Amino acid sequence: MNTASPKMLQCSDMTVLERQNACLKWQQEQLQQQQQQEQQSYFSELSGVFSSQVQGFQGGLVSGDSVLGDMVMTRQVKPDPGLETAWHEMEKVDMAAMGFGPCGYSNGPDFDMNYAISRTSSCPTFVAAAVAAQAVEVKGKESIVSEKMGSTVGRGSFKKRKVDTLQNSKVVAEDDSKRIKACAEEGESKITGPNTNKSSSSNNKNKKETSTGTSKENSKVSDVQKPDYIHVRARRGQATDSHSLAERVRREKISERMKYLQDLVPGCNKITGKAGMLDEIINYVQSLQRQVEFLSMKLAAVNPRPDFNIDNLFAKDVFPSCATNFPAVGMSSEMANNPPYVQFNPVEQVVSSCGLEMGINSLDMALRRTISAPVSIPYASFLDSSCFTQIQPSATWDVELQNLYNVAFDQEGSMPFPSQPFTGTLLEKQNWGPELI
Amino acid sequence: MSPMNNPQDLNPSSLKSRFTTRFLRALTKINGQKPISSSSPREMFQRYRRIKVAADKSMAWSVRSRRTWSRAMLWKLRSRYSCRQASSSRRSSVRTSTIIKSRQAKTSHEKENKNTTTGQDEVGFVVQADKLRKLVPGGEAMDLCNLLGETAHYIKCLTTQVQVMRKIAHFYSL
Repeated sequence: MNTASPKMLQCSDMTVLERQNACLKWQQEQLQQQQQQEQQSYFSELSGVFSSQVQGFQGGLVSGDSVLGDMVMTRQVKPDPGLETAWHEMEKVDMAAMGFGPCGYSNGPDFDMNYAISRTSSCPTFVAAAVAAQAVEVKGKESIVSEKMGSTVGRGSFKKRKVDTLQNSKVVAEDDSKRIKACAEEGESKITGPNTNKSSSSNNKNKKETSTGTSKENSKVSDVQKPDYIHVRARRGQATDSHSLAERVRREKISERMKYLQDLVPGCNKITGKAGMLDEIINYVQSLQRQVEFLSMKLAAVNPRPDFNIDNLFAKDVFPSCATNFPAVGMSSEMANNPPYVQFNPVEQVVSSCGLEMGINSLDMALRRTISAPVSIPYASFLDSSCFTQIQPSATWDVELQNLYNVAFDQEGSMPFPSQPFTGTLLEKQNWGPELI
Repeated sequence: MSPMNNPQDLNPSSLKSRFTTRFLRALTKINGQKPISSSSPREMFQRYRRIKVAADKSMAWSVRSRRTWSRAMLWKLRSRYSCRQASSSRRSSVRTSTIIKSRQAKTSHEKENKNTTTGQDEVGFVVQADKLRKLVPGGEAMDLCNLLGETAHYIKCLTTQVQVMRKIAHFYSL
């Protein structure tokens, strides 16, 4: 079986599922072979640990849980999975245990679980010893591999990890396995990532990266650690009194906000002087509030179609700007307690009566909406007369409003929506940024 | 009205979309409550008031409590609502009215203090600042600096409100 297992363990080419299936099959065979094994004690102790963790693995091993549990327990839990996939020299290690490994351990983090298992397992000594032995082997292999790789990055990381314990060896193994499995650059980038803070390697490339990383970090840290207050320096020929300094700061803040308001309020560019600006701002706020009132009055007067979807407002492009007189508005004027039904016919009547052919497209859209619309559509019978009577007041209302708008507000249509009207400096001093959006 | 091809409109968490959804919900509720009869102007006026309150409320809710003006507006709406509800029982109305009066007294007191301090610095702005304070909800208890910031945000929200309501009205009249 030992010849077969390496093939199965060369998981680099196989997908996860294939791996799992192959491992399951193999383990079942193994299980059958190793039914009479000693160390049943380990089985009881570790099975709990393993089953829970095995489930956490890849979700696909549910069926094989018990099998794997049995399997691994009987073997002395040798979790060195990622290594096995890469290094064929490790065949001398227990293949049974390895069988569990490659299936489950395609990623580095699975390592943690294994080592956790080995650590938490109350079984004891020879497992731990084996683990230690493996760790030594790992380190040995690592040296070989790093030399083989010849990458300076590996050397740097290796130097760092020489001092460390089992944990770091596992990190190394994880990184190395990643490196070997995937492309080299990937692994390097992953390794240089965590190394920015600690690495003291003499590698130029690494050094540059780490120095830039540390400098960036330092700058970031310094930015974060900056105090909340702003340092103000008294200019030449100005009072250095604390009160006057605070006053100056305040005045600067106010002037900044006035500038921002100047951008918001249209037509404020020509006006200089704070008093005039404030007047303009007051007028603008009053006009906006009046507009809201007018619009709410208009909405109160105009009868809406109850089956209005919210998507309509966002899908502006759907409806052409050729505003078809859709007098379905008038339909909802009648009784409220009618049984709901889709007003297919009345709409068609509307179309025929009003003689609109241009709006057929939008009508189709509307019909589709009505069909798919939610439940209660209180509609009465549609009357042509009511339709026309409803149109007229709204039309006159529109005309009046238009006049009002034209008189009072010149730039209302061209006013852009202030989406991102910030400059960097303004934001940093005042914490407006995210709140204003 | 030109169609807004602003990608910000499609952002489900933008102020505009939040306000729109809330306002539409309130509108449908209002329209569903009573049948719309154009004959009675009184009913129309009531509906207008309700819609206006709904618009303000949904705008304030979209901003949540991040801004002083939204908090003040929400508080005002709530107190007015509770006042109206408690109008039947005299005691609670008295209580709410006393609360409102005390708050007004407090704000006016604060305003006096602020005025004395601000009056020293910017003499010409007191009048306009007062006007602005009346316009912006919750503006009475703010110094000029914060007032300007609140005004900016309030203007932004008002423009959003106007745009959305105009679009809705346009659709309804189609």
